[in-house]
Amino acid sequence: MYGWEMLSFNIHDGFLEAIVRGNRSGLLTAADYNNLCQCETLDDIKMHLTATEYGPYLQNEPSPLHTTTIVEKCTLKLVDEYKHMLCQANEPLSTFLQYITYGHMIDNVVLIVTGTLHERDVNELLEKCHPLGMFDSIASLAVAQNMRELYRLVLVDTPLAPYFSECITSEDLDDMNIEIMRNTLYKAYLEDFYKFCQKLGGATAEIMCDLLSFEADRRAVNITINSIGTELTRDDRRKLYSNFGLLYPYGHEELAVCEDVDQVRGAMEKYPPYQSIFSRISYGESQMLDKAFYEEEVRRLCLSFEQQFHYAVFFAYIRLREQEIRNLMWISECVAQNQKNRVHDSVVFIF
Amino acid sequence: MAGQNQRLNVVPTVTMLGVMKARLIGATRGHALLKKKSDALTVQFRAILKKIVAAKESMGETMRASSFSLAEAKYVAGDGVRHVVLQSVRAASVRVRSHQENVAGVKLPKFSHFVDPAAASGGPSNASPSLTGLARGGQQVAACRAAHVKAIEVLVELASLQTSFLTLDEAIKTTNRRVNALENVVKPRIENTISYIKGELDELEREDFFRLKKIQGYKKREIERQMINAKLFAEEQLAEDLALKRGISVGAAANLLVAGGEKDDDIIF
Repeated sequence: MYGWEMLSFNIHDGFLEAIVRGNRSGLLTAADYNNLCQCETLDDIKMHLTATEYGPYLQNEPSPLHTTTIVEKCTLKLVDEYKHMLCQANEPLSTFLQYITYGHMIDNVVLIVTGTLHERDVNELLEKCHPLGMFDSIASLAVAQNMRELYRLVLVDTPLAPYFSECITSEDLDDMNIEIMRNTLYKAYLEDFYKFCQKLGGATAEIMCDLLSFEADRRAVNITINSIGTELTRDDRRKLYSNFGLLYPYGHEELAVCEDVDQVRGAMEKYPPYQSIFSRISYGESQMLDKAFYEEEVRRLCLSFEQQFHYAVFFAYIRLREQEIRNLMWISECVAQNQKNRVHDSVVFIF
Repeated sequence: MAGQNQRLNVVPTVTMLGVMKARLIGATRGHALLKKKSDALTVQFRAILKKIVAAKESMGETMRASSFSLAEAKYVAGDGVRHVVLQSVRAASVRVRSHQENVAGVKLPKFSHFVDPAAASGGPSNASPSLTGLARGGQQVAACRAAHVKAIEVLVELASLQTSFLTLDEAIKTTNRRVNALENVVKPRIENTISYIKGELDELEREDFFRLKKIQGYKKREIERQMINAKLFAEEQLAEDLALKRGISVGAAANLLVAGGEKDDDIIF
């Protein structure tokens, strides 16, 4: 279908692509970030944000402002935009847009299940869920006591159902399993999303597969680094890596046996796209790695706007907004905590 | 001073004086001891104060670092990570234990923190912190946890110091009050009593002396009188002797006259 989609793309999805490209120009620019970094108080930040697209959302906030409020309101804007786009979307774009939220959905399910295991109040938990990952029957998740029940009663009606087939074998829910369950689900989700994008074909497949491969590789590296020194065995670690991406399969073999950060580095330097990331951080240091990955991700997401007639722009837009909210959170935290010299450490400029 | 005019209500006797002197010695010794205790406590107090200042300074630093590490964790692992961590906690692994320390007779409460081994390693609930944020931000979550544990350490230390500070402050006040009471009330009162007893005893002594003198004077006068009488008697005797030698005693003659005039029944006139 490659090359031909421009004949028919605009029939269904032209409007939404226009919208998303319009929204894209509402993302904060480097100049905005520079202004925000100069702020002395959270009220200054609010004032600066009022001049941007976040204005209507922050306008009526009373003055003692908290970082969480800013983040909440910015997320609200993202959710509103997402819902607007979802309402307008046709198949298969609507499915594609829903796929984007499955990651949050997994997080919410895991959060509710964890909370239920520790006998917390479900309504309290629901407030803490990410609004992008809400689905109708989420409140009834609390009734489940083991994995099979969870699946049978609730999840079978949700789009997450196929992903549970992999981890349905582990009978009892405990904390160790839950964290592994989350990552197994996420792995299944990424693989499914990858397959879906390939099915869509054309420029969407080309760009999305690239982006998802990067996501999968980043997860693999992070899981490796974060599981060093924990009780996670090599085989378990290997099982959490997604079965696609640049590192699959030989890179995964190497990552699975890594025992420290430098070995990870050694394994990753064989792959040219990641060489540049790892060459920027010094030996034995992994703190800056997250920022390096975020920067690389943002770079790739921005590149997806260079092509037309494909769905990856929606994915890229949502992700960029999320990154923007992270940036805002970081700046507000730095301002609120009087750590302004650290402001530039983690802000990733978009465009 | 009000205390200087006061004295104990005692009978001024020598026995009481002895008792009072013993009490004065006791009070002096108690005063010296309490003064020493107060000094020791003050030394401790100053040391604690210095430690509190240091701890407070480091607390500001540590708390800032820990809350910033939370921001870092939230940046990397997403805002939802705090809920994930919060929900997976079952029991606190860092506990505070309290015990007492004895400084110069004052019992100071001390707090020390320890990691509850049952909560830290036993249950599966604490296996999760190491796996939290496995896909992203696990290291930041771990760093955040470490930073907060450090902050708790500082807080516990500070709490311990503050409590000892307050207790010690109270103890020092009590001791100083006692020292001052001994110095300014009890000791002057006993001293006043002693001087009073001594004064009374002196007075008694003087009275005795005076009485003795009086008696002595009376006796002297008596002796003199007797001496005079004796002398008179002796002179009379002498005169009598002379009269006898002359034939008639002056007295006898007179007596004869008197006796003759009164007692002679034979004469009927």
